[in-house]
Amino acid sequence: MNAPLILLHEEALRMSHPVFAAAPQGTRSIFVWDDTYFQQLPHSLKRLIFIYETLCEMPIDIVHATPLDAVQHFAPSMLYIPTTHSPPLVRMIDALRAHVPITLVTDEPFVTLNKPTDARRFFQYWKKAEKTAFLHNGGAHA
Amino acid sequence: MERLPKAFADRDALVAHVEALAPWAEGARSYIQGGHTKAERKLAAIEPTAYARTRNYGAGKVTRLSPYLQHGILSLNAVRNHALRLCQEPVQITKFIQELAWRDFWQRVLAMHPEWAWNDVEPYKTGFSTADYADALPEDIATGTTGVACIDAFIHELIYTGYLHNHARMYLASYVVHFRRVKWQAGARWFLQHLLDANMASNNFSWQWVASTFSNKPYVFNLENVDTYFRGLVDTTPEANHVLDASYEALAMRLFPNRARTE
Repeated sequence: MNAPLILLHEEALRMSHPVFAAAPQGTRSIFVWDDTYFQQLPHSLKRLIFIYETLCEMPIDIVHATPLDAVQHFAPSMLYIPTTHSPPLVRMIDALRAHVPITLVTDEPFVTLNKPTDARRFFQYWKKAEKTAFLHNGGAHA
Repeated sequence: MERLPKAFADRDALVAHVEALAPWAEGARSYIQGGHTKAERKLAAIEPTAYARTRNYGAGKVTRLSPYLQHGILSLNAVRNHALRLCQEPVQITKFIQELAWRDFWQRVLAMHPEWAWNDVEPYKTGFSTADYADALPEDIATGTTGVACIDAFIHELIYTGYLHNHARMYLASYVVHFRRVKWQAGARWFLQHLLDANMASNNFSWQWVASTFSNKPYVFNLENVDTYFRGLVDTTPEANHVLDASYEALAMRLFPNRARTE
């Protein structure tokens, strides 16, 4: 069986993201530089430069490919990906599901809400959020 | 599949490499640089108590952390924890914590309702329907040649730096949607292309908040407001910003005539 793999995306560019703790120690991590993804958004050059110079400071590989090509090349036993709500990234992840088992790993929480909130207005959310927003780690036991 | 290089002689070399990778990408480099070192330096410089007093001013103590938050270089949790260490009482930094919370809130809304990202959440409350708004961003807005001095200055900052003060974002969004009657989606796409910190949740829902499709009323500003918060930073003289130089009552009559008739 091949090794697991961490697939980072543009919303999770730091080595302290919980995805690294969730994957087995020593798991290889990559960022896929996907021309089609960036072009379809489309990001301006300054956005691409910002991402690239951030990646250069990280001990990960930048792979010039499509996500599917990268997954087929590495054929990981498990693909660990930081959770995202960005629709283009969600579509990318959904497209990979047929090819590889995926574990999504959420970022450290900002606040702890007892149950999911469907607030339409910020202050409906804030009434619940303020109970833990002023606490170290948002009241979560790290 | 190719492994891309990560070591460059200097920033010029890195920029040239990215330009070659993405010849289709518009624009040029920003002076704002990515990376964890830059993020940590910015985090060390925040003044969360001063932020509460001055955040609405163009020269206020805003943190400019947003590009680093958007890319996960810093987490909301880490920034909040750092801010807590800088204050004596958490209540002193309520506005700062709320600003972080807005980002968390919009993310939760998008997670719950991804279909809202590009669709009107509610009808416009402007007296107009969606069909009354133009689909495309006018060329003079895209290029910062509207002839409205402060608006053009904000557009140039957006295009050349990839960063805008939050108040300036609201002015631009209001100008696009209400003064020019363009669909918020056209403006949201434009911001997503340029802002280093843009994500679909904060960006698109904030545009909808200004447009009134995700709020109780449209957000409108006038020249007096720009002058209060940006005097000395952009040209706020009446002769260079004629279209904005009016009272809120006069603007409501001019921009929302259908609504004014029914009130």
